[in-house]
Amino acid sequence: MNRLDALRGTTPPKPHDARAIAALAANPGCARRALMDGAGIDKGAVAHHLGFPAPFGQSPFAITRGNAFEALVKADGCAELIRMLRELLGLPIDEVAYHDVLNVGAHLRHAHTRTLIDRAARGEGAGTLYDHPLFALAIAGHTAYLEPDVVAFQLGGRFHIVEIKSFAVIDGQADPAAVAAAARQAAVYVLALRTLLEELGHDPLRVAHEVVLVCPENFANRPVATLVDVRRQLAVLRRQLARMTSLDRLLDALPEGVTFDLAPGEDGRPARPVAELADAVRTAEARYAPDCLSTCDLCFFCRDEARQEGASDLLGRAVRDELGGVASVREALALADGSRAPAEGQEEIARLLRGAERLRRECLA
Amino acid sequence: MSDRLDELERRIDELRAGVRRAMRARDGAAARVLRAELRTAEKAWDALVSGEQPAEKARGPRLVTVREQVHQALALLGVPAQARLVVAVSGAFLAGTIRSSQLTSLRRDEERSFRSSPYGRPYYLCAALTDRLSPARGYLTVSTWPVERRMVGPLSPRVDFLTCAVRIAEQPARTPEGDRLLARMARNIPGAGDEVPPDPGRVAEAARRELAVHAERDAADRAELARRAVTQLDDAARLFGAATLTTVPRSLMAMGDAR
Repeated sequence: MNRLDALRGTTPPKPHDARAIAALAANPGCARRALMDGAGIDKGAVAHHLGFPAPFGQSPFAITRGNAFEALVKADGCAELIRMLRELLGLPIDEVAYHDVLNVGAHLRHAHTRTLIDRAARGEGAGTLYDHPLFALAIAGHTAYLEPDVVAFQLGGRFHIVEIKSFAVIDGQADPAAVAAAARQAAVYVLALRTLLEELGHDPLRVAHEVVLVCPENFANRPVATLVDVRRQLAVLRRQLARMTSLDRLLDALPEGVTFDLAPGEDGRPARPVAELADAVRTAEARYAPDCLSTCDLCFFCRDEARQEGASDLLGRAVRDELGGVASVREALALADGSRAPAEGQEEIARLLRGAERLRRECLA
Repeated sequence: MSDRLDELERRIDELRAGVRRAMRARDGAAARVLRAELRTAEKAWDALVSGEQPAEKARGPRLVTVREQVHQALALLGVPAQARLVVAVSGAFLAGTIRSSQLTSLRRDEERSFRSSPYGRPYYLCAALTDRLSPARGYLTVSTWPVERRMVGPLSPRVDFLTCAVRIAEQPARTPEGDRLLARMARNIPGAGDEVPPDPGRVAEAARRELAVHAERDAADRAELARRAVTQLDDAARLFGAATLTTVPRSLMAMGDAR
């Protein structure tokens, strides 16, 4: 762990939230991200100091809209949610018990969640809906507290995670990127709840791998629920988390004495020379893909880097995978017009590229 | 009628020209006044053309306080309710003028008043109590209700929702807002139908049917909680809830150490 602390330097570790953990699973191949998250580095601050501030922060309008929709779904003792669960999962009429974990003081929430979930798993007392639970998940040696804006709910001895999102499902179709992000985030909660059950001595598989996704339907505000299978996201997440606890291999690849420390001065502002920090960050290999733009704070820095190298990563994952073994755009073009002889193992892709180039010429001629 | 229409059209044209002139002269205040007149004229024109009289909402400022309006709405519902529902019911059936934002500090004000002169008012708007006897988030109740009714057990949110649906369905007055509210509630009650406007009789019956499933268990939970509240809490806490444990700021702890 010492090397990770050295990487982070003097700044305190940044706690992870579900969004950040979910984003980990979005790009498992990126060593830069794995190292920075493992060390608990504030990537936003690093990006800012490097001169590539990230474009996020959710818009206040989106947050207000999300909160209003969540309040609507949870209003009147989760009346809307109960209707949807009855339709979707065949929840029996007498299963309506509702517990709001927020009724206890903030510092007791995690303990109270544990007690309630334990009681439910033992089948004692009435418990169907648990609002505002607080889960804990160990990420690379630090405990991250996860606050599902969602309800963990128990039906026939199985727990389901309910994720409320305010993007619309129009005519049975939703934005695939938004659904994927929601599924990844829900997978984090599933994992956290499974961990909790395991700690309490229950079967972790009692947490269903199907999460209930609640979204507004069509152009009205009327909520609709669908089941989303998150097994794949869970597998990726688990692999990624296991990898974070064994970062040694990635650390060994780094040169000795490298650090991502911002070296904040007395006023708390980062004082480290930008060029020096940039060089340090470049020692960890990134795997840029256009999707990074919506999940990672460092995205603009990595994109700039990929552009300078003319890397084929810029064109998206599908192209990169097709071009397996050809690292840069210039190389691909050279292979296509035949000005460069294919190296060992590149014959196949070179033949395809030349074929594509010939077709393009014929089209344009 | 066409005379009146011609006249209105002339007036609208004049007003439009006036707005344009004011804008060109960058006279914002004048433009605003003219625009307002223009809108009134256009509305009148619309009403004349479609042959409808504009529905005048008789909603002047009312002389009833926010506190009293909330009390009336809660008396109508008869069970603990969240601010959202209180506002909706007050607007739909009692010609109420309250907004949700006016209810945020209500409970705190009531508590302050009670603590400074206990039982000085005929009723207080107070909290519903959770199974830890702390105030339940967002619920409003009336102090004159029996203690059991002010308790929130695990089943109570659903029971209260169904009771509210019955009470609203049984209102003799039918208003468009009331119908909308009832339709929204009916959607979430099995067997209540989802036609608009809803059939109040059918909604009430469906709600009663589901109520019968939960009523017994809920009544037992509430009675148990009420017993605990009566034996363990003082007057103020019984109305406004026992304080939850909260985190103490570090600075206060340091003060305690110094002492």
